[in-house]
Amino acid sequence: MLRIYVWLFVAFLYAPIAIITLFSFHASPSLTFPFEGFSLRWYSQIFANPTFVDSLRNSLIVGASTAVITTILGSLTALGLARLKGRVQTMFGLLAFGPVALPGLFLGIALVMLFAQISLQRSLVTVTIAHVLFTLPFFIEAVRSRIEYFDLSLEEAARDLGATPLQTFRLVTLPIIGPTIGGAAILSFALSFDEFIITVFVSGNDTTLPLMIWSMMRRAVSPDINAASVLSLAMSIGLILIGGLLVWYQRRLALSARAKDTEA
Amino acid sequence: MMNGNRREATGLALVAPSFLFLLVFFIIPAVLLFVCSFWLAQAFRLIPTFTFDNYSRALSAGGFYLLTLNALKNGLWTAVISVLLSFPAAYFIVYRTRGNLLFYLILVSWFASYLVRIYAWRTILGSNGLINTTLMQLGLIDQPLEVLLFSPFATILTLVHIMVPFALLLLVSALRDVRKEYIEAARDLGAGGFEVLTRVILPMSYKGVVGAFMFTFVISAGDFVTPQLLGGRDGMTTGILIANQFRTAGNWPFGAAMAFILLATFLMTYFMFVRLLDVLRLAPGRRFHD
Repeated sequence: MLRIYVWLFVAFLYAPIAIITLFSFHASPSLTFPFEGFSLRWYSQIFANPTFVDSLRNSLIVGASTAVITTILGSLTALGLARLKGRVQTMFGLLAFGPVALPGLFLGIALVMLFAQISLQRSLVTVTIAHVLFTLPFFIEAVRSRIEYFDLSLEEAARDLGATPLQTFRLVTLPIIGPTIGGAAILSFALSFDEFIITVFVSGNDTTLPLMIWSMMRRAVSPDINAASVLSLAMSIGLILIGGLLVWYQRRLALSARAKDTEA
Repeated sequence: MMNGNRREATGLALVAPSFLFLLVFFIIPAVLLFVCSFWLAQAFRLIPTFTFDNYSRALSAGGFYLLTLNALKNGLWTAVISVLLSFPAAYFIVYRTRGNLLFYLILVSWFASYLVRIYAWRTILGSNGLINTTLMQLGLIDQPLEVLLFSPFATILTLVHIMVPFALLLLVSALRDVRKEYIEAARDLGAGGFEVLTRVILPMSYKGVVGAFMFTFVISAGDFVTPQLLGGRDGMTTGILIANQFRTAGNWPFGAAMAFILLATFLMTYFMFVRLLDVLRLAPGRRFHD
């Protein structure tokens, strides 16, 4: 019984995605059955649209910059939180989680207010700032559980044996937490790539992919929006799968290495 | 002792860059927004002053209550439905499956772009959409059902679809703390399925249930994109009104004041929900002798 329910649940989640994916390959502009054959015409149409290509490029730039900045800030924070105790740790943990506990609308209007007051022109830079703010809590949360199990005495042992802080980080810390950080960086990229609610307030003249899909949705319905949507879906889901596989593979390697150690 | 202090100092130094970032781009903007809610706007210029005009203007308009009620309704329905739908699935994942494949499958769908999902539902529910044309081809209806799209129904259905994977994630991690042995112990002591649920599982996964409910509620009640694209004329919410102040109409202080009123209603909802669980005796930390 419960098993059937859970598969229906999964079907509910994936059905809409499956339907627009199917119709993005539809030979006719109609969005209903009967299905009249496959064609790639909407995809060639969307790639011939310079606005689409621009916004895709902008989204990739913003996503990559966000991932880099969030990874640096987030990794430092997670390593720092492992060293802090009690009230300081709780307080900072709460603060770092704040940006996702509020609806995106609040972050969007608060940021646009700040940018206006300090006369910072809205551009891809302000979009990136907003995306770092939005992805940082997810990054810290994703990395934190791994770092809580991280044994600080390993670092201290390395220091006692004469390693510099940088050497300790490169040779001890990074190999242990690296895969998790890699996975979380991909997560940040995917979240940035899809972010719309805050972006709509802080963007300037350069549009990102979600902004472009939004303006297509508000204009006349043209089937090439299906193609744009599916490309955006494929990008974010594909990235998440790659990130997930990466983490999973690394963990398996680590586990089998440990198994070998205990055998020997 | 020396070692502990040094460790703490390193910790603070590592956390400092993020703290600075959050200070500049989160705390200061939030304070600024609050201060601005007491300012006035004239011809798109902000006039720093101190007045409650924006608050009284919002609270004295009948329409404002209606839109806020719509926003809270969207939030409450979405939260209730999402938690009810995902709880059995979370239970199944935690206690009945060994691998994590199913869990990951559900989680991955969370990354299906938000706007694309709104678009997908619009395609499905529209008057030329899949449901209407199928029903008409089957001869069940003559006219397309207009209520499917541009209605609170469409908004809530889509919000549930968007929020459910996240609610499930929070519930799964909460249920992982309730060990199978506790449930078996309760069963051995003669508890029925309902008692196991209300006396063991729910009180022990309390934080996760409250978290899943509140997250879903806050995000959906504050969402302005879904109701704007799918909600129709009757589905207008405070969120849309606030967003418009900052995008087109341009009275920022008024928008800021409405945002803080909306935030206050969220806080009240939180206290009421926690109180409700307390009254229903689903909260932990009390001994029930009856």
